[in-house]
Amino acid sequence: MPPAHQPPERPPLVELRQVHLSFGSNHVLKGIDLNVRKGDAVSIIGPSGSGKSTILRCINGLLTPERGEVVVGDTPVHALRTEAERIALRKRIGFVFQQYNLFPHLTVLENIVLAPVRILGVARETAEREARELLAKVRLADKIDAYPGQLSGGQQQRVAIARALAMHPELVLFDEVTSALDPETVGEVLSVIRQLVEDGMTCLLVTHEMRFAEEVSHEIVFTDGGEIVERGTPRDIFHAPRSPRTHAFINGLRN
Amino acid sequence: MPESWLRAFIAAGRTVGLNYAFLLDARERASWLRGIALTAELSVLTILCSLLVGIALAGLLTSGRPWLARPARAFVELMRNTPTLVQIYCAFFVLNMLLNQLVGGAQNNPLTAYAWAVIVLSTHYGAYHAEALRAGIEAVPRAMRESAISLGFSRRELLAHVELPLAFRFALPSLFNNFVDVVKSTTLASAIAVGEVTYASLMIWVERDNVLEMMILIFLVYGVLTLLVSRLGILLENRLRMPGYGH
Repeated sequence: MPPAHQPPERPPLVELRQVHLSFGSNHVLKGIDLNVRKGDAVSIIGPSGSGKSTILRCINGLLTPERGEVVVGDTPVHALRTEAERIALRKRIGFVFQQYNLFPHLTVLENIVLAPVRILGVARETAEREARELLAKVRLADKIDAYPGQLSGGQQQRVAIARALAMHPELVLFDEVTSALDPETVGEVLSVIRQLVEDGMTCLLVTHEMRFAEEVSHEIVFTDGGEIVERGTPRDIFHAPRSPRTHAFINGLRN
Repeated sequence: MPESWLRAFIAAGRTVGLNYAFLLDARERASWLRGIALTAELSVLTILCSLLVGIALAGLLTSGRPWLARPARAFVELMRNTPTLVQIYCAFFVLNMLLNQLVGGAQNNPLTAYAWAVIVLSTHYGAYHAEALRAGIEAVPRAMRESAISLGFSRRELLAHVELPLAFRFALPSLFNNFVDVVKSTTLASAIAVGEVTYASLMIWVERDNVLEMMILIFLVYGVLTLLVSRLGILLENRLRMPGYGH
């Protein structure tokens, strides 16, 4: 029996093993190993062009690695061949984008209920009730009938998070979700993500918000040049990095 | 319209040298009014059918599958690169004749000249709509497509719920440009004796020698119909405007 003070070992929900991917002659991922346990928040940090967003796109099957394995739960993502198999995977994974990508011709409510109703086959009434709850959660209950174009960036991003959550995902991938926002609206988006992490949602974030990453993450992964240079607790990575590359990156941000 | 108004109108025409006496002949008047109704009907039917053809072709053109896109592209080129009138002749005098032989005589052939006019004009203008819609579909940002796919949309759902609604909005001015053209093109149906307003007017002027008078009426009829179509376009543009998007 393990000692009482140690948390039981939780199985990984996402596992990447030796993932390689190139765009033409550009070798973007050079053997990525990564795992995210259920309920954890893991942040991927690193310089632009280090393959961070590409990793997220391999996890939900938007991109297929040339070599290596990507496993989500019991699903071998690298081996999925048909559209139907990829759709089944994507229903389980929320994805929030840098540019929000809400559907501009639909109201906030329609943006949120479209996928649950059309793809999961949820009854419209149920989907609408859940949408209202989610909007209350992201503090946008009063914007239910607004169109995306009428909202600020931070508001649109919170709707995008609600839209992803409406599918009841096992996992949410955040791809630099605050990079396109005005500084004053960054905080409102981060506090929604913080709440999600506290609620136990498994989150994998690509972010440039170092202070936030340090605060919410269970683990930090530092990537550079398509490789994982170092991974560890926020305290280790931000305050006692082992690799000189990590050290240089963290220090570069501070100065 | 009361007969007294008609007589007043005809008398007024006569003072400036225009002969509208055919309006008093019940048979001629009826066939001319039926011509207007047919033109309107042909226009509406062709606009709707051509739009369906256009949507289907645009779906094939942007499917990303060569075995679907290539035949669709060939069809679009064929439709755009041959004159509409020749297509109508070809359909009615060649395809229709072949069909007659196939079904064992004209009496068994369900397709009338009117039906052929709708079919030819719909496929012809469908090709133009397809190009307008293709431009609209290609204007949908790649990121928007990625976000729908990430939510679990299939190719077909993506087209139905995201690409086409956006493409339709982007393509609306071009589409209505085409619709106005469709209205005017219905006059070509007169070439295969469909009794639309041009043909009906022609029947009247060969008997009464009032070409100028009938021409004025024809211009008025098409002018009103095209005006209605373009007004509808503006109405739809306002109705479908996406608040806060792109302006």
